[in-house]
Amino acid sequence: MILLRLISWQYTRKHLLRSLLTIAGIVLGVAVFVGMHTANQSVLTAFTQTVDRIAGATQLQISAGEAGFEEDILERVQNVPEVRVAVPVIEAVMNPQTKSQANILILAVDMTGDRSLRDYALESGDESFIEDPLVFLAQPDSIMITREFAAENDLKSNSELTLNSMDGPKKFIVRGIMKSSGLTTAFGGNLAIMDVYAAQKIFGRGRRFDRIDVAVQEGLDPAAVQVKLEKVLGSGFQVEPPSSRAKQFESLSSVYGMLANITSLFALFIGMFLIYNSFAIAVTQRRSEIGILRALGATRRQIQVLFLAESAVGGLVGAGLGVVLGILIARGIAGSLGQFLGEVYGVAQKAEEVSSDPRLLVGAMVLGVVTSLIAAWIPARNAARVDPVQALQKGRFQLLTAGENRMRRWTAFGLLSFVGVSLAFGHGRLIFYAGYFAAIFAGVLLVPTLGLWLARGMRPALKAIWPVEGTLAADSLIQSPRRTSGAVTALALSVSLIIALGGMTQAAYASIEEWLRVALNPDMYLAPTQNFTDRSFRFPAELASEVEKLPGVRRIQAVRIVRLPMDGEPVMFVALDVSSVTQEARLPIVSGDGPTMYSDAAAGKGVIISDNFALMHNRKRGDVLTIPTPGGPLQMPVLGVVVDFSDQKGSILLDRSVYDKYFKDTSSNVIRIYLQAGVTVGQMRERIAAQAGTRFRYFVFTNEDLRSYILKITDQWFGLTYIQIAVAVLVSILGIVNTLTVSITDRRRELGVLQAVGGLRRQIRGTIWLEAVLIGAIGLILGCGFGAVALYYALETSARDLSGMRLAYGYPFRTVLALIPIILGSAFLASLAPAEAAVRGSLVEALEYE
Amino acid sequence: MNKLVLFLFAGALLAQDARQIVEESQKLHRSRSQQYEGVLEVYDTKGGKNEKRWQYARIGSYGESRSVLRFLAPPLVKGVALLVHNHPDRASDQWMWTPELNRDRRIALQDRSTRFFGTDFSFEDLEERDVDQSDYKLLGEEALNGQACYKIESVAKKSRTTQYSRVVIWVRKDILLPVQFEMYVKAEVVKRLIHKRVEKVQNVWSTLELEMNDLKKKTRTVMKTEKLKYDVALPEEQFTLQALRRGE
Repeated sequence: MILLRLISWQYTRKHLLRSLLTIAGIVLGVAVFVGMHTANQSVLTAFTQTVDRIAGATQLQISAGEAGFEEDILERVQNVPEVRVAVPVIEAVMNPQTKSQANILILAVDMTGDRSLRDYALESGDESFIEDPLVFLAQPDSIMITREFAAENDLKSNSELTLNSMDGPKKFIVRGIMKSSGLTTAFGGNLAIMDVYAAQKIFGRGRRFDRIDVAVQEGLDPAAVQVKLEKVLGSGFQVEPPSSRAKQFESLSSVYGMLANITSLFALFIGMFLIYNSFAIAVTQRRSEIGILRALGATRRQIQVLFLAESAVGGLVGAGLGVVLGILIARGIAGSLGQFLGEVYGVAQKAEEVSSDPRLLVGAMVLGVVTSLIAAWIPARNAARVDPVQALQKGRFQLLTAGENRMRRWTAFGLLSFVGVSLAFGHGRLIFYAGYFAAIFAGVLLVPTLGLWLARGMRPALKAIWPVEGTLAADSLIQSPRRTSGAVTALALSVSLIIALGGMTQAAYASIEEWLRVALNPDMYLAPTQNFTDRSFRFPAELASEVEKLPGVRRIQAVRIVRLPMDGEPVMFVALDVSSVTQEARLPIVSGDGPTMYSDAAAGKGVIISDNFALMHNRKRGDVLTIPTPGGPLQMPVLGVVVDFSDQKGSILLDRSVYDKYFKDTSSNVIRIYLQAGVTVGQMRERIAAQAGTRFRYFVFTNEDLRSYILKITDQWFGLTYIQIAVAVLVSILGIVNTLTVSITDRRRELGVLQAVGGLRRQIRGTIWLEAVLIGAIGLILGCGFGAVALYYALETSARDLSGMRLAYGYPFRTVLALIPIILGSAFLASLAPAEAAVRGSLVEALEYE
Repeated sequence: MNKLVLFLFAGALLAQDARQIVEESQKLHRSRSQQYEGVLEVYDTKGGKNEKRWQYARIGSYGESRSVLRFLAPPLVKGVALLVHNHPDRASDQWMWTPELNRDRRIALQDRSTRFFGTDFSFEDLEERDVDQSDYKLLGEEALNGQACYKIESVAKKSRTTQYSRVVIWVRKDILLPVQFEMYVKAEVVKRLIHKRVEKVQNVWSTLELEMNDLKKKTRTVMKTEKLKYDVALPEEQFTLQALRRGE
């Protein structure tokens, strides 16, 4: 502690900027980790809170995935003696025409029994007079809203509120205003209650419910009643406590969580090299200080502990700053992330407040400190090994020895051999990821050698163009590889990450665009909502029949999309007329015989699964899937595997007839329309308007609209990737600034001598500029090489564990072209301040340095 | 004459047990059918009043009757109807019809404890109970509003679903008509039903005004009966779900 205060603190104060730059990597890594996870956590918390608050006294919820079920199920549940209350529910999000324009969560229940589950504390305090329950039930336009929503939108009792129902815009009357309570704070207070039977009509549910909320008889164990209900209803129904809905959402958004982990860990990994670099240089610079300490009796262990303690304190400060920055980032992105996840997964939540998990924050602090300690471990060990006599001799630098370099090279070759073996023979996850890490470490170990070779290779060209500055810059790198290897490694890793992400993005866009071209080729679409992933509203079967009969329509496909649980995860089922699809679209086949596969699927003899579902769920052609349906488990063989990007978690295509039969649901989420030759989308839009009028709520989308929508979602998704790229670039710039700052300090005497013997300021400045650009160029070249390997692993990781999407390898040359000016320009900009510091410093002081 | 017969009859019952009193009471006021128009006045804590009118029709004897209650006013609830099929051995079946939605809904057994459309009655309070569905105990005799009454405790049998732990009934000794009920949840009286106006209609002692008091919420609902008729010819089909849907 005394040493920390007397020695380390003094050193840090003297080199404050450098110290801050050193911990910047930790700050960024921790900030990204905390920011992305906290934002994700906030969205999840908002969803969980909405579920909890809406659940009230509900102990179990019965659903059949998103498909819903017929009304008679309610009576079966109510007849179970262990059930105290069973209430039907429909839940949907709408955008009412109000002042605030905010979405509102509609909770539709049967009010005759629901008060046993939920407490609707009414504003009037007396439901029997002001809020007439009979009128509420008798009039389908009745709605009850929260006090907060009423205040925000200037609504009061008996005010009108317009909602877009399946039957077009419909005026509702506010027949109840709820006081602030747990329930009313659900969905940020934007909650409305209506009668479930009125909601069936409004949302196009027919005579179906979304779920049943259940409370068990007093004194009974809900888990036991859950088992009983599962037995009574069969495997087509999910009987779960309300909390499991949050788990499903968590499972859906797990890809985002993994991406957040990868980004932040990569940032920390790169930051680790910054710390390593700084400490390695600090040990070199402070060798005389170490020598004195050793001469005064400090043990090797004390020296090692001193440096590790410095690193731990730095890590702690960095992690602390990172946590603060992370929470600020989370505040900024939670709302838009919530909207984005809502759009991708169609899940209702409203993330307005940031909720930080103390465990996450503590974990982030520990991560920051541990990263810092790991980074400082080797420099601290080297510091402990400093020979006091040698250290006190002025001018003797401890350089990277040839032996040390040789050992690194051999280790790297050993690791690369393992990588080769893992790629050739290792299909298991463990060996694959072991190979991945071995490749990273091999690259890291080879950076000094490869950097040295590149610097030597570039020296003649630099000398030819800038005889003095070029030679000095190249020599600086060649003579002190240890000083720059950390920055070069950090930069190379950053560039490789960018190449991998850029390549993956490029491959994903190419694959999605191709899929859009061959699979989603209808001329137009009719959807009940503006958002394709929102499945709150459904078209009744008659609309599809009416549209089919319109002149100019060549073909329609009424598609029903539902998520159903498979292997414990919600999986997207796409039910449509398979024979119709095969005549219009050509989904690329991964496995299976095209004509047989499609004709068997059309005959209801099996299902076709997407490639990513096959990969993620380890299924193949010939396997038999057990699909949970309200009519009981449905055994369907997998007839084939196709490329389909309908959902990140994979999709299952089944014929509409099978779905209708087992789910007794003829509604649709979207109607695909193929037009006859010569008929334009505009003409058809008019014909649909004339036919449907205001009887139905619908939105018309052209093929281009849908493509833009999907690409917008893809853009948003890859927006996360751009955050990763930004972090990578930022960390690498910090690395260069740090290295140059250290380099200038380290070479003050050398630079002073140069000036003393007639070196011009311009030459000194140019040398530092060139040195920075050289570091950038070497990092860029190595990064481009590493990136080729990293891209392979990124695509494999994505296919194996993230989305199951097999994307074609294609090196992102355009990304490289874009990176050249960014990295070299950043390196140059990073050198401006250190170069000025070098030429403006006192010559006498510089010569006195050391 | 009638009074004398009743007096002698009631006197003979003195020695009988509580179950017999209730059974006799039910028998005495039994009719093949019944029809009336009612007014429902719901008073809130501040004295505010909400009024609704309805038409009621019933066929079948007590405990196994079928009834239809259809609201006539105010306009917002006009046409809303409730069909009740009472059973001697189990809880009744109840359906509600909402014309604006053009559909019916079944009132689940578990929902019977909830309030009947904002009144102080619960759906359960509207049910007819066969004498065999409860156990009775004569608590004694007590004068109520100057009338001598039997004070009887009724506890639902285990097979029956009810929200009440017990109900104390005051049965007028002279005409064997229940005139007050106190409903208990555990040891606490939660509701009190008072038969405020009792008159003879077509030779049947009938309650023409009922008042249900929610003692916890301190609210009350008054139910007034008008145009009461017994043994009117009502078609069986009128008491079906199909008829309910047709708005008959």
